[in-house]
Amino acid sequence: MVRVLALGLAALILVPAGAFAHGPTRQKVTEAVEINAPPEKVWEVIGNFQDMSWHPAVAKQEGKGGNAVDATRLLTLKSGGTIAEKLIKYDKDKKLYKYEITDVDVKVLPVKNYSSMLSVKGDGGKSTVEWRGAFYRGYMLNDPPPELNDEAARKAVTGVYRGGLDALKEKLETGG
Amino acid sequence: MVAGGGAFAGGHPAVSEAFVTNQTDDTLSIVELATLTVAKTLEIGGKPAGLAMSADGTLAFVTAPEGKELVVIDAATRQIAKRIKVGEGPLGVAAHPTNGRVYVADWYAHRVFVVDPVAGAIVAQITVGNSPSGVAVTPDGRLVLTADRDSNAVSFIDAAANQRIGGVTVGERPFGITIDAAGARAYTANVGSDDVSVIDIASRKVVATVPVGRRPYAVALAAGRAFVTNQFGDSVSVIDLANSKVLKTIDVGDHPEGIEADPAGAFVYVACWFDNVLQRIDAAKLTITGEATVGDGPRAFGLFLR
Repeated sequence: MVRVLALGLAALILVPAGAFAHGPTRQKVTEAVEINAPPEKVWEVIGNFQDMSWHPAVAKQEGKGGNAVDATRLLTLKSGGTIAEKLIKYDKDKKLYKYEITDVDVKVLPVKNYSSMLSVKGDGGKSTVEWRGAFYRGYMLNDPPPELNDEAARKAVTGVYRGGLDALKEKLETGG
Repeated sequence: MVAGGGAFAGGHPAVSEAFVTNQTDDTLSIVELATLTVAKTLEIGGKPAGLAMSADGTLAFVTAPEGKELVVIDAATRQIAKRIKVGEGPLGVAAHPTNGRVYVADWYAHRVFVVDPVAGAIVAQITVGNSPSGVAVTPDGRLVLTADRDSNAVSFIDAAANQRIGGVTVGERPFGITIDAAGARAYTANVGSDDVSVIDIASRKVVATVPVGRRPYAVALAAGRAFVTNQFGDSVSVIDLANSKVLKTIDVGDHPEGIEADPAGAFVYVACWFDNVLQRIDAAKLTITGEATVGDGPRAFGLFLR
């Protein structure tokens, strides 16, 4: 018993501090939707970093810095959790912006080191909106619990993107 | 460049291929540089990341962090020659110019494994700082340097004694490390502080710190300039080494990571992790002049040209 306990302690001590920083493999998710609306019209809805009201999971938003690089926003979700984000890149001509998550509880979104890009392409009356993310799973050591593994991270991010993109399409195609 | 063909007797052989580790789909793409097409795809497994070439260019060394392996590839036949179990999380890798050994930085075990790739044996282990990522060998083969990411430092290892002999504090979270052809300076890309540390190797001092784009990953050297991949910036910062200032920022693909210049300094090749391409930058014009589509999630972390 004593020996077992001692071994357990040794194992704990041997867990390297650096492993908490980043170690597993970075994951990627890309989701897209085609919308029967001109890209300019789509960008009007989603092109403001300070306005995520088009996403059905977002209850409330506050932020500062507008659409300038390093602008911040804090999203409060309808489920109650919050996500703090920072703008990395904003290009209104190319109709894209890129941002990172600066703070989120893994219970809200099971990811670490998350960055993402939202973009609109198209011409005439048709647009394609693409949302892509790069991130690590929520648990940075080996042998993650199922709710914090690579698959759980990809599934959660895919759900966020799908929910947003499908709602956007409906809003733009039915709401004029 | 240095740890690749740099010390080859009689000067630099021209490079004709890039070996690109595709982490997401567990493969290696061998790209012919003349045509920018994939000539062969090898199944590696274990989420391949790091890459190095033997001094004579006949062997390629690939780290598989999740497989905990160093995979040795016969470059001519394009076949896997050997799989060697190494540590807990092998990441960065570099080949010695003369003694045939390979240095593998282990992210979890906080040490460098010295591997004899022909015998398939670990011949020494050297404790360094926390989570060493990049590793490079000086052209004279005397020193091995590691970027110890979670110690914000670079370790200096005596290659003859297999001992850590010192270190220097650099920017936050150094990831890639590159040594120049003269063996005078080393450059780290500091992911945390968004800059590059320039280290004078003889005095083991940081002589310049150059701000670059967001989340820099690795550095290539060509024609008196440093080319730095910015993962979040989707760009390559070009630093004039004469005055340590950024002279241009080139837009490249999404999440650029591994980067290396050809020995002549004419072209710089960069792997873009999200876009699954290897892009070619003209080092004089500072523009992208071509790209090859590779596997999913290319990292090409290290010296990947032969």
